[in-house]
Formats: sequence, structure tokens, C-alpha cells
Amino acid sequence: MDPIWQNLPVLLDGLRLTIQYSIVAIILMVVIGLVAALMRLSAVAPLRWIATAYVEIFRSTPLLVQLFFIVLGLPAILPVNQWFGQLTYPILAAALTLSLNEGAYVTEIIRAGILGVDRGQKEAAQSIAMNGFQTMRYIVLPQAFKRMIPPLVNQAAQTIKDTSLLAPVGIAELVYKGEIVIAETFASFAIWGLIAALYFVLIFSVSKFSSYMERRLQVDKR
Amino acid sequence: MINVKDLHKSFGHNEILKGISTHVAEKEVVVVIGPSGSGKSTFLRCLNGLETATSGEIEIAGMTLTDPKTNIHMLRQHVGMVFQQFNLFKHLTILENVTIGPRKVKKVTPAEADKVARELLAKVGLVGKEASYPDELSGGQQQRVAIARSLAMGPNVMLFDEPTSALDPEMVGEVLQVMKTLAVEGMTMVVVTHEMGFAREVGHRVIFMDDGLIVEEGAPKALFSDPQVDRTKSFLAKIL
Repeated sequence: MDPIWQNLPVLLDGLRLTIQYSIVAIILMVVIGLVAALMRLSAVAPLRWIATAYVEIFRSTPLLVQLFFIVLGLPAILPVNQWFGQLTYPILAAALTLSLNEGAYVTEIIRAGILGVDRGQKEAAQSIAMNGFQTMRYIVLPQAFKRMIPPLVNQAAQTIKDTSLLAPVGIAELVYKGEIVIAETFASFAIWGLIAALYFVLIFSVSKFSSYMERRLQVDKR
Repeated sequence: MINVKDLHKSFGHNEILKGISTHVAEKEVVVVIGPSGSGKSTFLRCLNGLETATSGEIEIAGMTLTDPKTNIHMLRQHVGMVFQQFNLFKHLTILENVTIGPRKVKKVTPAEADKVARELLAKVGLVGKEASYPDELSGGQQQRVAIARSLAMGPNVMLFDEPTSALDPEMVGEVLQVMKTLAVEGMTMVVVTHEMGFAREVGHRVIFMDDGLIVEEGAPKALFSDPQVDRTKSFLAKIL
């Protein structure tokens, strides 16, 4: 048990970063996903093209490759380190790349949610003179949102797990810290087991919290 | 109140409306009948811009709908619409269904919108249902809420797209009664329906449409008892 207890503070420090990146990415992925979904459903063709290209590019390449490319590759051709600071750039780039990747999936979740709302709802809103924004904001999105909760929770769980891919690009989150601890203690069975348990607790609490929220919103009822 | 000149509407190569011209006077109740696929619903949907006319001219409540410069949202405030499937906002209570238009579109204060909504719900016979959700109401009740929702915007014209076709037979009467009251009060109405009793009793004029054209129109009594065109005769023979 020694290697675990002695190194627990180091691992918890990594867990703290994992949670921070998760929170930022989950918030940003929803914002990005909403904007891109509305663009994909827009009547303006160029907006549709941009959003479709974004989704396809991020969905069709591995997150790990995207992280290497943007966090480590970009500085080789652009002075991004000078623009944002040598220490800040990798943090920003890693968080943003993760958010963009997850946002591509969220785009499709939100788009499907919006398309799932009966067309008559939109027509009724138009018939009482609502404009496009009001129709979306007050009629379509509130109904779409309720059906989007289960897939969005799935995606949030996926996002938390995907933060582990930040380790190879030098973000000192849970997996990164774990590798350091193992290099010193050789206790790979105990440490990886503990790390898996920490992820489990984190994601399990998120999913329990969201089923509680779902019940409160009475998703099934209406 | 409504002026339609040579209205055409196509979906792709499929021409649904092949040149409709008619006029609806203020306080007039016009009933549109015809076989399914005759274009009567499309015609009605063109009147509030849910469908865009391919060509022709529509003037309604003093605005030219077919003029691209016309603000369609401004126009729709004057043209209420009631749908076959009610289309109540499922996530809102009955009261909210009626108040949301005035509050968000006309920027009426919540207190004022509430007051108007309660009056309208009383008018359509739904006192006590304010806090219910649409799913908890019968079809007839939902359709009466839908009428109240439209009226809350203070329209000059009301369009009804087969308002009783999705209802159980015993609920048809309560909806027609509300519509009749509106007609008596002088609302300008265009009603697409299969309810010939309503057409006869409440309608000032009946339009018979077939294959995207107005085949015949006239006072209900004359049209039902003495149709002039063969197509009208055969249609009426089947349904009367």
C-alpha cells in the first residue's frame, strides 16, 4: 500500500487538472456544438459548408493526432509560443483541441435533437409571428434539449476519459502523473488500478448527477 | 381584407396551385372545400407565408405578402392560423401557450398577457386548465387552446386548416361552436374543412377547389343545392 499512500497527493494533483480540463472542455464543447449545429441547419450555404467541414475533419482524424498536430506541430511553423507565451500555448491549445474534437460530436447530437422536434412546433411559432431566433430560443431548443440530455451525458463521460490523451502532449493530468509515479516506484499494477478507480468515481458521479437532473426535468413525461 | 391574384405554387416540378384568384371581404367567412390533394391547404398556408408563392400576388390585412420587402413577421401578427394537428407547444403550460406570443413578439407585460390569456381561455371554455400541459388535454380542448393562442395576437384574419379533421367525432362540435362564435363576432375567416354543416350554417361563401384551381364558388345554399359545374356536382354527391 505504500506506493499508493505516499504518492496519492501527486496523483490527486493530476486528478485536479483532469477535472479542470474536463470542465472547460464540456462547457466549450456544448457552446461550439450549439453554434456549429445552428450553422449546419442554417439557410446560408457557406455557414453550412464551414460547419460540415469542421465536423468531418475532427470526427475523421484521431484526437491524439489532432493534439500532436496542434499542440506540438503548430509551434514549428507559427510563432504561437511568442503570441501566447511558451507555457500558456500548450495549455490553451490542448484545451481548445479537446473541446473542438468533442464539439464535433456534440454538433451532431444537437442537430439531431433540433431535427427531432416536430415541424408543426416551428410552424405554430411562425404563425404567431415569432422570428427565427425566437422560434429556436423559446420553442425548438427547449424541447430539443430534453431529448439531448442522455447523449450529451454520454459525450461528457467520453470527454473526461479523452483528457487522458493530453498526457502525451505534456499536460500533467492524472495519467501523466501516474506515469511519473510508476517510473519512481515500479508499482504499475497498484497505480494504474488506482487511476482507473479515480476515473470511475469521477464519471460515475457525473452520470448519477445527470440522471438525477433528468428526473427533475421530467424528460420522459414531456 | 384578402386579395389573391393568379397565385401559383409549385414544389419542384409539381404544380399544386395553378392560378388562384379570389377576394375575401372584411368580416366574411369563406369555407374552402375540395378533395384531398386539391391544393386547399397549400392555398391557406400561402396566405400567412408558411409556403412561399411561386408567382402571383397576395394582399392581406393591408400588406402585400408577395412583396419581398414586406416584413413577414409583422404581417403574421395580423393573420392567425389554426392547424389540423393543433401544434400546441408541448413544453409549455396552457396559459404559457397563449401568453408566449404576446410576451415575446409583441413585448406585452406578463401581467397584461396573463389577463388577456385568461379571458381568451374563458371564451373558449377552458377555465381551470391554465396550469395543465397540452398532453393532459383532449384533442378538442387542445384545438380550443390553439384558437385562443392565435387570438391572443389580436389578428384581423383567422385561417383554419382542417381544424376538426384530427378530432374524435364527439369533440368536433365544441371546436365548431368556438369558431361559430368568432364568426358571429365578425372575425374574417378562411376555413378549410370537410364539415359541410358548418359551411352551410356559418359560411358566407363556399369555394370548391380541385386540382389547384377554384372550380366554383358561391353562397353555401346555392352551391350545395344547385352546383353549376359537373366536377362540383360529383364531389358534393359523394360527401353529402
